[in-house]
Amino acid sequence: MTILDTQHDLPAFRHAIRDWLADVVPPDWKARMARASNDEFIAFQRWWMAERSKVGLAIPHWPKEYGGAGLTLQHLIVIADEMARADAPQARLFTISLIHLPGTLFPHGTEAQKRRYLAGVANGDVWCQGFSEPNSGSDLASLRTRAVRDGDHYVINGQKIWSSNSMYADHCILLTRTDPDAPKHRGITYFIMDMRSPGVEVRPIRQANGRSEFGEIFLTDVRIPAENMIGRENNGWRVAQATLASERGVIAFEGAERQRYEVEAFYQRALAEDAPWLQDDQLRREFIGFLAEIQAGRRLLRQVLRESEAPDAAASVLPSIVKLSGTALRQRICSFMVRVAGIDGQAFAMLAEQPFGSPMFDFMSAFSGTIAGGTNEIMRNIIAERGLGMPRI
Amino acid sequence: MATEPIETAASLDQATLTALREGVAGVLAEQSSSTAVHAFVDGKRALDRDLWSHAASLGWLGFGIPEQYGGVGLGVSGLAILHAELGRQAAPGPYIPTLSAAQAIIDAGTESVRQAWLPRIAAGDISAAVPAAPATAALAWSGATVSGTIRCLGAPDAAFVLAQAGNAWVIVELAGAEVTAAPMWDRTRDVIDIRIQHAKPAAVLEDAAATGAALLRAMALAVAADSSGAARSITERTIAYMKSREQFGQPIAGFQALKHRAADLATKAAVIDEMVAHAVDRSDEPDADLWALLAKAEVTDACTVIATDCVQLHGGVGFTWDFDPHIFLKRARLNEVLVMSNPALRDRAAATLASITRAGRSALELAL
Repeated sequence: MTILDTQHDLPAFRHAIRDWLADVVPPDWKARMARASNDEFIAFQRWWMAERSKVGLAIPHWPKEYGGAGLTLQHLIVIADEMARADAPQARLFTISLIHLPGTLFPHGTEAQKRRYLAGVANGDVWCQGFSEPNSGSDLASLRTRAVRDGDHYVINGQKIWSSNSMYADHCILLTRTDPDAPKHRGITYFIMDMRSPGVEVRPIRQANGRSEFGEIFLTDVRIPAENMIGRENNGWRVAQATLASERGVIAFEGAERQRYEVEAFYQRALAEDAPWLQDDQLRREFIGFLAEIQAGRRLLRQVLRESEAPDAAASVLPSIVKLSGTALRQRICSFMVRVAGIDGQAFAMLAEQPFGSPMFDFMSAFSGTIAGGTNEIMRNIIAERGLGMPRI
Repeated sequence: MATEPIETAASLDQATLTALREGVAGVLAEQSSSTAVHAFVDGKRALDRDLWSHAASLGWLGFGIPEQYGGVGLGVSGLAILHAELGRQAAPGPYIPTLSAAQAIIDAGTESVRQAWLPRIAAGDISAAVPAAPATAALAWSGATVSGTIRCLGAPDAAFVLAQAGNAWVIVELAGAEVTAAPMWDRTRDVIDIRIQHAKPAAVLEDAAATGAALLRAMALAVAADSSGAARSITERTIAYMKSREQFGQPIAGFQALKHRAADLATKAAVIDEMVAHAVDRSDEPDADLWALLAKAEVTDACTVIATDCVQLHGGVGFTWDFDPHIFLKRARLNEVLVMSNPALRDRAAATLASITRAGRSALELAL
């Protein structure tokens, strides 16, 4: 019996996932990845995607007619929960491929686009997102990368930034400006771009945590066939809303569940070692407070997941509340870990083999939560304006 | 002494709880309006008595009391809703001491003690007093009578006090005791000093550990719920004010510096609501104390931060007696110190966490 055969019995499905993970996840994967080169990271990610594919869990949430297993949100939650419990690898390289691409193509793509591009994802195609630009971050709709029609092609010139894994990507979902004279939201067109097209150049960006997950994409006279347009010309902003809304909170949920296990493991280690901070009144009290916040955050995320399939889900600011509170909490927890680790916590290491084993790496990495995917300042605007009805001036 | 476990209401579904909350909120919005509370604070209206009779006639005082003792049997979830809504309207009255004493009697009292006191509490015939900090206040026990002076949360006309005396907890009727009101900055709650001389307890709860823990847990959860409601309410009131107040030719709610603070307050309020909900959900689990005590510490601290900023966000009128923020801030500050100091509560929670972890269990299990 395969994992997918158990899908009509959620507890059995959970057990099947758990058994599979116990079998397939190499116990030393973290230690290996802690020392991995970029190539080794990519190879490992592709291996992980292939393993998932073997048991039908590469694209489990997609409809069957596009190669998926047609599983429900409940199944995805169970998968994420078990992945966190097993401390299994995350399919980081494939986030855009798995979430944002289908979230865009299902509502807005042509049948030909769906047939052509979705099939590649299960085989390991890497997608990246070309949205932000050096001068268009929080004000995304001000983007200036130009697309000019030339026969049955569009010619693209401009620059994209903060594009995760663009160095390894096969394709890009790209926002361009087709009408510079229209109001900024009405002159944007959405394309699928082949990253191997002439004129595409990608440079990795070295982050403050030492890693290079983002790239900068330079586009010079890149030709994209008109058939690669998603939606209509100048209607790209609306299509982009589908991309931005496609993540239903499962990634954040899995992140919070992983953090729960990390914090617990950290605490168990502290108890076993009789860590000095346990005797420090202030630090001990600060730590116990995190637990209340961790549980509150996990509860809020469960609420986000419950709400995510409601008809009015897009109007809710709860995801913004969860992002604001959860990422700030992550930052405070990591900051705490740095403080209790003393000089050892400052030792240079790029990846931890054990929870909070490299506190400064985790602390520096925590900014990706507070800045990426809409800065926390933008979250505050959303909460205040859409949630609290405070006027936009 | 055998204490019979009591069947509490099966976990109530969300729709029932929402309806319950809306019902309580509706009555309190009308009865304990800002105007009514200000009149009470200024000594112009006996709002506490009016509300108590409404609460009694609507069955609120029996929310946490099982049906066989004249209550409604809504358990801890019903109680948390009531306390949160009372906090939301800064409602005056001895709800926290009376309903927390009832919980301790339910959890640790004998059948005859339950029969003697719970129906009268549920009916609203009597209110109770409990020590403001139950773990550090005790009466002296001579073997036959109790004596001492303790500072309590409770109305001056409270019928009884539940307090520790020697190695037991006692219920002492206050008809003959010397009760002195100790006016607080928070005028919406009563603190009293009770002086008892050679009084014969009306009842003895012999399992001191169970009684003390039950009272602490009930008070912690009640105070946390009160502060969560208060925090949400003063945040909403402040945002409403910011929308109406114009400076520089526009509502001040449009200024981003203020919007961001409002968003932070609303976010904090959402988080502390979940801390209370989590403590409620864990109330029948072995880690119930951990989550109740921790919720009290975290939520009351957060409520003080929120109410403080709400005074500031009101500007000049926030510093006046006539506007709401000071009422909530004073209530928040009293809540902060009730039950036990917040650092001490965190230490207790941390000790519980350590023992749970050492036993190889997790305190962080959470259903999907």
